[in-house]
Amino acid sequence: MRRCLLPLLTILMLAACESYDCTLNNHVGLYAAFDREGTAVQIDDTLTITYGQTGPLLLNQSVKTASLNLPLTYWEEEDTLVLTVKGTDYLLQDTIWIKKSNQVHYESPDCPTTLFHTIEEVRNTNEFIKSITVTRPSVNYETTINLQIHLL
Amino acid sequence: MHGRKLVLLLMMVCLAATPLHAQEQTEPQQAAPAEAKATKPEKAPLLSGVAVSADLVGFIMRAMNAKFANMEVAARLNILDKYFPVAELGIGDCHREGAETGNTFDATSPYMRFGLDYNFNKKHNGNRLFAIFRYAFSSFKYDIGNETFTDPIYGNDTPVPLYLDGQKATAQWLEFGLGVETKLWRFIRLGWSIRYKARVGLSAPDEGVPYFVPGFGKNDSSGWGGTVNLVFDVGKSVRKAKAKSEAEIENKQKKNKE
Repeated sequence: MRRCLLPLLTILMLAACESYDCTLNNHVGLYAAFDREGTAVQIDDTLTITYGQTGPLLLNQSVKTASLNLPLTYWEEEDTLVLTVKGTDYLLQDTIWIKKSNQVHYESPDCPTTLFHTIEEVRNTNEFIKSITVTRPSVNYETTINLQIHLL
Repeated sequence: MHGRKLVLLLMMVCLAATPLHAQEQTEPQQAAPAEAKATKPEKAPLLSGVAVSADLVGFIMRAMNAKFANMEVAARLNILDKYFPVAELGIGDCHREGAETGNTFDATSPYMRFGLDYNFNKKHNGNRLFAIFRYAFSSFKYDIGNETFTDPIYGNDTPVPLYLDGQKATAQWLEFGLGVETKLWRFIRLGWSIRYKARVGLSAPDEGVPYFVPGFGKNDSSGWGGTVNLVFDVGKSVRKAKAKSEAEIENKQKKNKE
C-alpha cells in the first residue's frame, strides 16, 4: 500500500491543475491572391479597400500588393468590399459582393468565441478585375487562399 | 502530455506491484501447511452482499460552488468477496463563465457507469483493495452564450448577445483505476478511488463543443478523477456468513461429542 501512496498523491496533485487549450492562431480572415492569365501578379499602385462606400477602412493605400487578408462581418449575409486602385493619372474602382453563411465557433468559456464563414457566391464589377474563383469556401483559422482574383 | 504519460506509467507500476504483494502474503501459508490447516482460509459465499454508496466529493464540490461537480450514487453486488459488479448513476453540473471572454457554459445532465471492481485482498477482514473498470456514457444538453459578444471590426462596439441553448451531445468513455475501502462501523464503510478516464466517443455540434461532460469532467481526450465513497452494506456480509458457518461447525462438533 505504501508503494502506491506516492503515485496516488502525484496523480491527485496533477488532477488539481488546469490548463487552457485555446487555439493559438485564432485569427479568422478571408485570404485572396491576384493573378493575370494564371500568373501570380501584384498591384504596384496604391490599393485601398473599404467595406461598402462608407464603411470601415480595411486596407489603406497599400502598394505592391500580391495578396489580401480581410475580415468578414460576423452577422451579415453578404459583404460588400470596394477596391480602389489609384495610379499617378488614373483611378479604378471595383466592387466585390461576397455572399456567405456564418457559423459560431465556441471552444470553451476561457477562449474567445469567433465566427467561421462559408462562402456561397462571389460577384464583382469589371473595372480592373476580370473574375474571381472561390478556391476554398471555408473561412476559418486556416491561412490558405479563399479567393483567386483574376485581373484584366 | 509528458507528465500524464509519467503518471500513467507510475500507475501501471503500482498495478503490477499489487499482485506481487498478494503473493508475498500467501507464501508463508504454503511454507507452513499445518498452520494453514489450523486457520482454514475463509470462503465467502457466492452472493456475499449488496451495497449502496454515494460519492461525497461531488456533493462537497457542489456545496463549495466549484466550477463543476459530479454527484453520484452507486449500487453493487458482492460476489465471493472478490468480484463487485457496479452501476453508478449521477448528475453532472457545471456553471462556468470565462473571466476575460464573457463566455458562459451551463449543463446539468445525468450520466451512467457500469463496470466491475476486483478485490485483491484475499482475507475477508473488511479491508479491500480494488482494481476498477468502468464503461460510462452520458447523453446531455448544454447552453453556451455571451451577453457582450461584439464583432470587433464591424460591430461599432455594439454587443450582439449570443445564445446557443439546448445543444445536444453524447459522450462515452472508459475508466481504469485503483480503490481502497475499509469498514467504519457495522454496515458503514468508507472508500477512496482514483481513476484514469479515456474518452472513446464524443458527438457534438460544430458550433460549440461542450466544455464539460457530465461524469467525465472537463472535456478532453483523457482525464483523471477520484471518489470518496460512503458505502452502506445492505445485504448479508461475509462476516455474517462466516459466523453462520462457524455456528454450524460448532453444532456438528457438539452432536459428534454427544
